[in-house]
Amino acid sequence: MLLQVILSGMATGCIYSLMALGLALIYKSTEHVNFAQGDMSMISGFIAFTFFQLLRFPLVPSLLIALLFSVGLGLLMERLLVRPAITAPHFNIFIITLGASIVMQSLAGLLWSYDQFPFPTLFPNRTISMGTVRVNTVNLGIMGVTALLMLFLYLFFKYTKVGTAMRAVSQSQNAALLMGINVKRSFALTWAISGLISGTAALLIAPVIFLSTRMGLVVINGFAAAILGGWGSIPGAVFGGIGLGILENVAPYYFPSQIRNIIPFAVLVIVLVIKPTGMMGEERRKRV
Amino acid sequence: MLLVGAGVLFFLSPLVLGRYMVFILNLFAVYALVSIGLNLVMGYTGQISAGHAGFLAIGAYFTAIVGTKMGWMPALLILPLAGLFTGLIGFLLGIPILRLKGFYIAMATLAFGVVVGEIILQWSGLTHGDDGFHVPRAALAGFVFNSDKRLFYLVQPITLGMVLVARNIVRRRVGRAFIAIRQSEIASQTMGIHLAKYKTSAFAVSAFYTGIAGGLFAFVITHISPDSFNLGVSIDFIAMIVIGGMGSILGSIIGAVILTGLQQLLTGLPEVQMLIFGVALILFMIFMPRGISGMLFDLREKLGKSGNGEGKGKEVNGTFPDGMKRG
Repeated sequence: MLLQVILSGMATGCIYSLMALGLALIYKSTEHVNFAQGDMSMISGFIAFTFFQLLRFPLVPSLLIALLFSVGLGLLMERLLVRPAITAPHFNIFIITLGASIVMQSLAGLLWSYDQFPFPTLFPNRTISMGTVRVNTVNLGIMGVTALLMLFLYLFFKYTKVGTAMRAVSQSQNAALLMGINVKRSFALTWAISGLISGTAALLIAPVIFLSTRMGLVVINGFAAAILGGWGSIPGAVFGGIGLGILENVAPYYFPSQIRNIIPFAVLVIVLVIKPTGMMGEERRKRV
Repeated sequence: MLLVGAGVLFFLSPLVLGRYMVFILNLFAVYALVSIGLNLVMGYTGQISAGHAGFLAIGAYFTAIVGTKMGWMPALLILPLAGLFTGLIGFLLGIPILRLKGFYIAMATLAFGVVVGEIILQWSGLTHGDDGFHVPRAALAGFVFNSDKRLFYLVQPITLGMVLVARNIVRRRVGRAFIAIRQSEIASQTMGIHLAKYKTSAFAVSAFYTGIAGGLFAFVITHISPDSFNLGVSIDFIAMIVIGGMGSILGSIIGAVILTGLQQLLTGLPEVQMLIFGVALILFMIFMPRGISGMLFDLREKLGKSGNGEGKGKEVNGTFPDGMKRG
């Protein structure tokens, strides 16, 4: 029974991992914090919904259009909101993305209303028995796609020239610039990838929790996951997300069920009070 | 002279204004206090708080619960107690936050705000949970503030007094220490500013202001529920000080008045109101990070140069955070 709860926790955890990963990638490249990550996700979900339900496109093209859109949204955010203020303190960018999050929520509310909508899934909805454990295929699909995306990102950053250039930029912007790397393009690409991750997260989770304008709040779980794993650490984001998902699913078995709502916040508070660097984060010292 | 005249007119205004207008003026005052409180910790000291709705909730529920259980207590005693209680919570929250920087503080305060809301919701024996709480009328020596016009004479003098106190705080030693911390924690520490002391006191004072605002809020709107203090409310407060002007008392008031006014104008259209807030946040942060009061300050500088030169460099709080929190 516990194993089963852990397994379904891992599926939700994958979504948190994706959120945390999107946040961590942007943070690693420019040290900016994107509060709108969850709302970017939500908008991409609604785009897929519009094409599939309202314009009657087939499912797969609708999802692909939504993913393309999410990449565009990431690029747009970088170009319109972040780049004009690139020299401003990071605090300002945080507030700007906060503003973007409010704008996206209200626009989505105006365009698609505040209702909840059922969302189609690519995976067949069946339950498979593996020994004593029964697994839902939708959950398996979520985990599979997440694993694939992470593998793809790993290979991209590790073995391609562009990926290596992006890692160089995150280590030192000046040195990268001197080596002839296009730093601006690298920032834009980071936002594009982050957008793609947010879009993928939306398409995976919307069938499970329904599509709604409140979906963007998942960014807070993403923050909690990233901080649990260690803020700014890529493996930390992945494990933090899965850890948070498991915690959220297991806690109601030992405590009153309302605890589920406050798990991410409790995790935030506890980690920040006890060990702000999280499981895998490194402490940064500021030089004067 | 002009100022006194305007003051007298303001305090006579309930005689001619309608009930609703007076209610709005009271709301303006309440939010101006919250906005000043948030500005003290965020605009002056440079610590982002995304959980001030939590402080407002604590102040409001404290006032409502104490007012119900101890009906003999005059409003002028309950309100300072609410402020002190909230201030204590702010101080306690400030302690773990000492170890954190920049964005971590935003996350910790955000979590604090949500947890407060959740506690209020779950502890229904005390707070009536989701049903909300009916706030008893404020009373003072047999006089009951049972209408918006009467409340005006409770809310406005308190607000005025606290605005003056805030102006003194930021112009003196403590305020200068706050600003120094915002500019550079390390440099201010080298100058002999006790970081831990000033940062926790920034949170305590900020929470005190917001707590009293919460008490007044409870009296003004008469029925409070956990819904009035959600994350969106905390974000509205941030919008107030960003638009009004960070690191400025005048800016806090301007921001509170503009945003509360807009909220009241657009009550039927929450999406439009949110859209305006969001776009304003973005535009101000990109093009006018010093907010409206910063613009006014620049304007006065320019006029001052050609005119009588009054008020040049007078306002320390107008100078904005050039080095505000990198990372």
